[in-house]
Amino acid sequence: MPGKSEKRTRGTKSSPIIIKINGKAHEFELGRDLEPETTLSFLLREKLGYTGLKVACDEGACGACTVLMDGKAVLSCMKLAVEAHGHEIQTIEGLPKDDPVIKAFADQCEPGYGTALQCGFCTPGFVMAAKGLLNENPKPSPAEIKEGLSGNICRCGCYSGIARAVLHASETTEGGKK
Amino acid sequence: MTPPRPYTPRTARKFIGAYRPRIDAMEKASGKVQFVDDITLKSRFPGMLYAKVMRSPYAHARIKSIDASLAEKLPGVKAVLTCKDPEVSSLKPTSAGWTDGVDTVSYERMMWRHFRDRRVLGDHACWATDEVGAVVAAETEQIAEEALKLIKVEWEVLPFVLDPLEAMKPGAPVIHPEISPNNILPKDPVGGADIFVDKGDVDIGFAGSEVVVEATSVHHNATQASLDNWCCLVDWKEDKLTVMSNSYEADQSRMHISQMLNLPINKVRVISSYVGGQFGRGDTGDQPFFLFTALLSRKSGRPVKFRHSRRESFHDSRQPAIYTGKIGARKDGTIISMYFKGIGNSGAYADHTMFAMKFAPTEITEVALAYIPNVRMETYGVYTNKLPACMMRGVGNSQFNLIFGHVVDMLAEKLKMDPVDLALKNFGHEWGGLPDKSLTAVLCEGAKRIGWKEKRHKPGKGPVHDRTKKRGVGFSFHPAWHAEWQEARRGEIRIRITVNPDCSVVLDAPTVETGTGSNTCNVLGCAEALGFLGITTDDIVWPHTVDTETSLKDCVQTDSAVSYLQSEVVARAALEVKQRLLEKASKLMKAAPEALDIAGGRVFRKAAPAKGLTVKDVFMKGDMLPVVVEMGRAPNSERTGVPYIANFAEVEVDTATGRVQVLKLVVLNDCGTVMYASGAEAQQIGGQVIGVGEALTEEIIYDQATGVPLNFNWIDYKIPTMADMPEIDPALLEVWRGAGEYGACGIGEGTVTCTPRAVLNAIYNAIGVRIDDIPVKPEKVLKALGKA
Repeated sequence: MPGKSEKRTRGTKSSPIIIKINGKAHEFELGRDLEPETTLSFLLREKLGYTGLKVACDEGACGACTVLMDGKAVLSCMKLAVEAHGHEIQTIEGLPKDDPVIKAFADQCEPGYGTALQCGFCTPGFVMAAKGLLNENPKPSPAEIKEGLSGNICRCGCYSGIARAVLHASETTEGGKK
Repeated sequence: MTPPRPYTPRTARKFIGAYRPRIDAMEKASGKVQFVDDITLKSRFPGMLYAKVMRSPYAHARIKSIDASLAEKLPGVKAVLTCKDPEVSSLKPTSAGWTDGVDTVSYERMMWRHFRDRRVLGDHACWATDEVGAVVAAETEQIAEEALKLIKVEWEVLPFVLDPLEAMKPGAPVIHPEISPNNILPKDPVGGADIFVDKGDVDIGFAGSEVVVEATSVHHNATQASLDNWCCLVDWKEDKLTVMSNSYEADQSRMHISQMLNLPINKVRVISSYVGGQFGRGDTGDQPFFLFTALLSRKSGRPVKFRHSRRESFHDSRQPAIYTGKIGARKDGTIISMYFKGIGNSGAYADHTMFAMKFAPTEITEVALAYIPNVRMETYGVYTNKLPACMMRGVGNSQFNLIFGHVVDMLAEKLKMDPVDLALKNFGHEWGGLPDKSLTAVLCEGAKRIGWKEKRHKPGKGPVHDRTKKRGVGFSFHPAWHAEWQEARRGEIRIRITVNPDCSVVLDAPTVETGTGSNTCNVLGCAEALGFLGITTDDIVWPHTVDTETSLKDCVQTDSAVSYLQSEVVARAALEVKQRLLEKASKLMKAAPEALDIAGGRVFRKAAPAKGLTVKDVFMKGDMLPVVVEMGRAPNSERTGVPYIANFAEVEVDTATGRVQVLKLVVLNDCGTVMYASGAEAQQIGGQVIGVGEALTEEIIYDQATGVPLNFNWIDYKIPTMADMPEIDPALLEVWRGAGEYGACGIGEGTVTCTPRAVLNAIYNAIGVRIDDIPVKPEKVLKALGKA
């Protein structure tokens, strides 16, 4: 049986949950700011107002909630907020205005591939998934792009344009990094 | 990969038809666009409550008694309503099929007024997860869900039926006895008789035919699956009700709420902004949940938000249909008789069932079947305890194309004719001769791009790849249905152009932005029409929010026609803008307006073009008042016919596993005029996700023992991802021409229509065995091959 002292777990006043979000450290207290079952997506959207990420399925099937954790793409609806303790989260709001991946998605109009977005609901998730892919593999082949982004759903169906945008982002920069 | 082949415009224009980014591309790519769920965060509406509705655990049941007293006492619960409360039970019976979206209609004039089978929060559950019984508003969604569990319900569980053929049999459970004693939707003045097309005499036609083929095709339950789940926030303060929602029809939503809740129209304010995908879901937004959310707001005195979870967003589907078709011809390929019979599975509520079952087939009859002397079509809509069905990127078109393209392909085989030749010999439209120019263009271009002559072989007799894989090609075609004359029912479409003193422009052309690209078409059309100002698209602002209190009536995103309808009005309004500017300038330049002209942003005397003023100077030296032109115009009803669309597919079937892989799709649309090339291609490519999904993987599965749907999630309901999609070659053509400045035609819905049938015909070409129902899952292929 755990003793009284062992109840002083992470998230109490003495040991808050610390998550760096878009470069800024945030402190949360368990029970006050979030619960053990609070998902990262809920914390980011509903509590902190980072509405770029979307919750479309809330069960890890569509990728609309993708954010970067320590530079790797993660599904924020499948991560508990407490799991982000000590990690660095980047949402689409944390990307610079002239981010090459954002720009490639916005600019795509190369004939034969359509645009890289229509309704735009899945787009932030795709952009962050593409960032994660390019961090791991700065020069992906078309097949690697297909595989790398196959966890995201675009019901408007702009997959051709998205693949093209990611290819362009990888060509114009060092793997989408500035 | 074939290198892309950009289209060549028939008429060169400066802006219209461009390959360029969308006007909202940067805002969307950077995640700055705010959808209604984003706008209505609790941090922005501190007093906001969340609503949750009770859902039936049974496919068919009635609530005998309901006790919500424990729920009302749960801390955090602010309002509870049940089906027994008078403010709920006194609401009129309704339908979610008030209108097809083309026009705004009242309760009395709703399209399917004979099938008012829906109650707002009723006591009769007609499908498992039907929204019935009670609704709760609480401080959090979790508390609302907890409260629902505390409501005691005594259910009378009723027998259910899922299969429409079973539902039609005597003794089947009757779902809406007040409307139909046998589940078959009765005849109604809107849809017409059961035999709704009867041209010539099909029996004589078949008797005189030398070749006859007959087939069946079955279209199962697919769902729209917009990523943006249904969401609304309703704030009812004193006598004023404000709704923010992701319904795509603001004016109709206002009419619906006003008429159902007996509020003056000006006391209902509907605000719609960006919507994350529409695809026809919810028909036209006449959804009962707007009303119970409103009543919760009134009761609690607080803004109330209601949003569906993903599972709850499995709320509508494409009309499932079982079609049989029969076609008779002479040996030379002249078709003389066609007969189609459809059984539509309406699901729990009628909604737009008869629209799907009768509208699309009627339209194809007057267009593609104009030269067939004998045609009969017969259809029945049948209630079952499945998910209700409505529009989904078209209304009934995909379902009808599945049988139409089937019998055409079968007949061609029996006649030993190329189906391209058979199609060109028989199908045109009543406004033109045979062969039809538009059909010829889409079929010949498609055949060329897919490699029809080289790749097509005798069914199942092609080479084998990797020991077990066989390839095949197929196509299907359909007349489009979004020419200007087909939009006449919209009545006047109003827009407003404001030219400010610095020549910047505000274009009020309201429509809810659902992703279709019509916003970009509008701005291109405006820049084109105001070309004399010497402006670019960057000088034009298009307000993306529709607010029924401040906006003009929205032109509804249906029929994919907003891409050109508003631009047609803008083209005319621009002439008036020019006239007003000339009048302004005439005072300054001391010349009659007729003696002046404007080009490149300069006003000049026609007699001495070198001298003049900039338009900006005309404003700045004059009265500084903006030029505001508001104009309404009804669509041109000149009967210009419609163009054709087609889809060619190449597939590979693994005969060992039954897996079908689509290798390539060629999507062809005769657009009349391409309004915005990148957007049109995005629609052509994008539609294939729904088309391929419906053809191969997407289907709602029900537990036959309980009637409970089993896959209301995106893990088991399989939507194609990037890895599942083939190479897609979009082909934009300009052959047909409609009325008006542009003579364009909507294309978005039609991009989906021909995909399943093209894929199925290609599968037949690959393996030599026909599969009649979609989605074609591996087990169906193995069964067809006699391996399972």
